[in-house]
Formats: sequence, structure tokens, C-alpha cells
Amino acid sequence: MGKVVAYLKTPLTINWSLSYSCNFSCSHCYSRGSNISEVTTDEIMRVVDKISAAKIPFINFGGGEPLLIKDLLEITKYAVSKNLNVSMNSNGFLLDKNMAIGLKDAGFATVGISIDSAVPEIHDTFRNMKGSFEKATAALQNLRDAGVKTTMSSVISKINHKDFQSFVTIAEKYDVSQLFLHNFKCTGKGFDNREEFDLSPEEWKEFYIEALAYKNSNKDIDISFDDPVMAHVDGFDRNALVKGSTCGKVSLHIRPNGDITPCGFIDIVIGNIITDDIKDIWNNSEVLGKMRNKTPQGKCTSCASYEECVGGCTARSLALTGDINNPDPHCWV
Amino acid sequence: MKITRNEDIFFRKEAETKKEVDELLQDEEADDKGYITLIDSGTMHQLNYLGGRIWELCDGSRNLFGIVDVLSGEFDVDEEDLKSDIEDFIEELMQRGWLQYG
Repeated sequence: MGKVVAYLKTPLTINWSLSYSCNFSCSHCYSRGSNISEVTTDEIMRVVDKISAAKIPFINFGGGEPLLIKDLLEITKYAVSKNLNVSMNSNGFLLDKNMAIGLKDAGFATVGISIDSAVPEIHDTFRNMKGSFEKATAALQNLRDAGVKTTMSSVISKINHKDFQSFVTIAEKYDVSQLFLHNFKCTGKGFDNREEFDLSPEEWKEFYIEALAYKNSNKDIDISFDDPVMAHVDGFDRNALVKGSTCGKVSLHIRPNGDITPCGFIDIVIGNIITDDIKDIWNNSEVLGKMRNKTPQGKCTSCASYEECVGGCTARSLALTGDINNPDPHCWV
Repeated sequence: MKITRNEDIFFRKEAETKKEVDELLQDEEADDKGYITLIDSGTMHQLNYLGGRIWELCDGSRNLFGIVDVLSGEFDVDEEDLKSDIEDFIEELMQRGWLQYG
């Protein structure tokens, strides 16, 4: 098995926010409050052509709430006809039985549902929407009934870090194929509310030690993490091909107006999908170059795990310190 | 028995990277550099050069001997050693569920 990463000539995944419109106002949302224009459906179809021509295989619709996009099913059918693998993340509120069938027919490969607490009242409060837990779990059931493969996304925060195993219970109940336990990003409302919801470095350490041990001893459920600072925990898989943050190395993010950013949590525009050549951006962007070749600062300079962690989450370092090269403030070392 | 790829495992051939590696191989050892990217349950893997060639040939039209036959014309190595390497590789990927008979 080769372990050398020759940088990919185009991304593998486009995380695409078709709209920032949402029926929720979650406490950690990176996009809430963003006032941004949206490209037309015709332009979206041309972007799909561009993505397909660049041999980028995966599109993941986020947002905003994708189910508020009027032409979502039509767009997805078109993308699937171009051999793209399409997935999305939803709060599940609008995902009734008919919609689940529609998503199946449109060709979604997977649909992810966000659940941030196994306690309905806590989930509803965090997502500022009464009844949202019930709707989210109903969505998982509707998707299962329709034959759509599901994933579940849970953002780890003060409200759930000591109770993450309850997410496993939900995931198993609804035959979820993969459970994502995301780190807390400090962008948008996540930045504004970080004091209330983000964990301290010591709390992150405790959470990751426990969660990784659980993952490694429970192979029936596929649990995924996206936090490079986990490299400091015993049992961390050091064979990962991409070290540190994957944004800008494997994936890019498109905003509703077509602007391209390295990821949804980094507010640096590096081009526009309508007007620019994505391959040119991927291979020549100065910002991406800096993200792929970070320079260790501070405690990272003498850290034994730097090669694995590469300074942690680039988005968080930038949001909280103003410099992508600074150590991720979540790091407990 | 013919060997085929598991259709649930996504793969992409990095055509430009292969061209670069092919050029490198003219002058130096570069067989650890790959050009086939696999995605299994959201995790990215890259095969080394020989692995990539084997993967490409596992399209359901060849058995082990057919694959060895093609690659022995491409690699200037002892055929028995090559066969052994190919067998080991296929065995590993069978265990991972990425390849299958049929």
C-alpha cells in the first residue's frame, strides 16, 4: 500500500452550500447571518458540468438547509446522470416519507441527518426549533424505509460530550451507516457562542480518549472524527493518507454565489466556480498552498505529533488566533 | 476465477499523476508513487504503482494468471517474484473486501 500523497490534481469532494437559507437557527451554525446572493438553477447545472469535467466524483450539499432548495431533486438527478456521487446534510425537519422517496428516486447516495443530543429537549433548544429531534429521527426512519443510506452528524459540545454513546444507540436503532462526531468549529454563530458550547482543551482530551477507545473496541458501528488534534491520543490511526486538516487537500467548499473557499468554516475566497477554472484554483491558489505547507509555530515546533496533526484544525486556528500556522486552541499538549 | 473490483469502493485514476510517475520511472525508482485513489467509507487510500496497475486489471475479465501475464510484459522482474507480489496484493485487497471473485 503506497503511503505517499502526491497531491491530487483536482479535489475529490465539493462541499456545496446551494443556499444559506434555513428553517432553523442553530447555536453553532457557521452560515447563519450570511447574506449572500444565489446562482440560478441553470448556472448550478453548468457548475455540475464543470465538476464532472474536472473528474471530481463527490458532491455534498450543505447550507443552509438543502431541502429548501426548490430544484434540489432536479439538480441531483442531473448530477447523478453525470456520474457524480451526491450526498447531503439536512436537519431532517422537512424530510417526510414522500421526500425520502423523492431523494431515493433522485439518486442520493447518502443523506446525513444532524442530531446534537439524544435528549429531545436539549437537541430542540440547541437547534432553536421545537419538535426538531422528533422530526430528525423520523427522517432517519423515512430514509431507511425508502432505502436511502443514511449518516448521522453530531457536533460535539458542552451539551453532549459526556453522553456521546447515546448517539451510537440512535445510529444503531436507525441502521445509520456512519456516525460523524464533529469537532466544534468557531465560525459564525459557533464563534459567537463558543464560550457557552466549546469544550476546554482538557475536556477535548477526555472526550477523544474515551471516544477513540470506544470506536476501536466497537467495530459494528462506523464512527468518524474530523479533528486532527486526535493525533495526540493513543490508538489514533497514523496510517491516514492526508495529515492534519483535509480541507484544501481533498475537498473545497462552494458558497451559494459560486465563491470558492477552502472549507465552509474558512472565510477566505479563493475564486469563483462560475468564472474561474477549478483546476487552476486547486493547483495554483496561494491560500491552498499555505494550508498544505503550514509552518509550525509555538508549541507545535517541538511537538512529536506534528507530522500527524499538522497544527490541528486550520479553520479553528485561523478563527481564534488569526494565523493558520498557530497551534489549534483545542490542543491540550 | 476472474477477479473483479467491489463496486462499492469508489476509485479514481489520477491520469496526470500517472503521466508524471511514468516519466519518473524512466530514470529512478518511483514505484511507491501511486495514481489510483480509492475511497472506502469516506477514507482515502492510494495504491502504489504496481497495486494501481493490478487494480486497473481487476475488471472481471482476468484471473490471477491473466493479470501476471499482462504485468510481466510491463515490469522487468523475475516472473515468479512478480506473481508472488501480485498474489499477496490481491489477497490483501480480498481481505479488505475491495476485490472479489466473480
